[in-house]
Amino acid sequence: MIVDLGGGMTPIDPRLQEALDGERDPGELPTDQREAYARLMNAAQLLAAPPAHPVSVADRVMAEIRTMPPPVELDSWWRRATRWLTRPFAVTLRLRPAWTLGLAAASLAAILLLPGQRDSEITPGAAEGIAQFVGQFPSARSVEVVGSFNDWSRGSLHLRDENHDGIWHGTAVLPAGQHEYMFVVDGERWIADPLAGRYVDDGFGAGRQNSVLIVRSANMVDASR
Amino acid sequence: MKLERSLLLACVALSSPLSAQDGKSRLEGRVPEAARPAIDSLIAVAAAESLPTEPLVQKALEGSAKGVPADRLVNGVRRGLLQLREARTIVVRAVPSQPAPEGHVAAVSAALARGLSPAVVERLLTVAPDEPPVPALHAAADLVAHGFDPDSASDVLIEAHNKGLRGDRLLDVAQAADHELQRSGGGTHADALARVRAMLPNLPAASSATPVTRRAPKGS
Repeated sequence: MIVDLGGGMTPIDPRLQEALDGERDPGELPTDQREAYARLMNAAQLLAAPPAHPVSVADRVMAEIRTMPPPVELDSWWRRATRWLTRPFAVTLRLRPAWTLGLAAASLAAILLLPGQRDSEITPGAAEGIAQFVGQFPSARSVEVVGSFNDWSRGSLHLRDENHDGIWHGTAVLPAGQHEYMFVVDGERWIADPLAGRYVDDGFGAGRQNSVLIVRSANMVDASR
Repeated sequence: MKLERSLLLACVALSSPLSAQDGKSRLEGRVPEAARPAIDSLIAVAAAESLPTEPLVQKALEGSAKGVPADRLVNGVRRGLLQLREARTIVVRAVPSQPAPEGHVAAVSAALARGLSPAVVERLLTVAPDEPPVPALHAAADLVAHGFDPDSASDVLIEAHNKGLRGDRLLDVAQAADHELQRSGGGTHADALARVRAMLPNLPAASSATPVTRRAPKGS
């Protein structure tokens, strides 16, 4: 028998062997061998004792699984799709500088040209007409048209000054007939259109006038020619 | 037949209060609370009298957008109601055979606001009772605003109508008269109208786009 006593593999003393085999009284051993005997017997008892966990690893894993909450339901296809769509993906984009500059130039050209195209593409309905609004407000930051055609509410008909020459303009399709309106400059100054040609007192007693706009039905004009 | 007539009357009776209700809901959150009860009651009165309520709703929205104080806002709406009543009286007098259409009443009210006299309005309505009155009334108001005699303006518009001009083409009469007045330099208004009369019915037509303004003197 070879016993590891902590310092390496050494052959066991025959007296110690006999004591371990029950052939010699351990009390007859020298002091150092009695200590070795005691350590060996403790180790033998530990090895002979039953394991601390009575169940196998597989049993413990299964027990863990049984304690987990049951799955509510399987993921539906749209949930998986949503997860897929919202999951971030790393994308590598390789751009050539020449192409990038070309793309930027094309985008700029589209931005500059599209507003004009939109104006020309406006098509009025049967009882509608096209109104063109123009006003000269050199120092204005914003100009909008507010009137009976938009319930006198702000923010629906903004004029533009693309080339920053102080001349603001815009086009709108409006119902044929009479409308009253005013320009609102910089969100606070209410100004009657200086060239509307038609005006009416606004009736609130301060002598302020609304501009009057008569929108002609596009169809009626064509029919009368 | 009786059932159809009853249904029609019921629709007419219901439509005014419903439109008034719609108008009131559009005032929510826009008209100052201090003015709401008075304005609501003015709109209710208009609906009860079968007057168009939309001009009053517009007036309330306009005054609120402009920040008009509550008392002046209510007065503005009240003035609008009085003008609608006057307009309905004129329409009923000019076209006695039918109930006053709301569109006619609103158009006449707007023409009165622009300064046309009731007599001129009534005369123009009588000539074409079944046609939308907006173009003729505004053509007359345009002429009067440019200094033409109201009766002469009515005369030339009636003549244009009799020679076949209808609808928005009547606005071209006023435009032609103004053009002739500017072209003649020192000529009188009567001369300009005489030249327009001589051209009828072959007046130059305006474009379909409504030119609201041209490039012009500074607006600010």
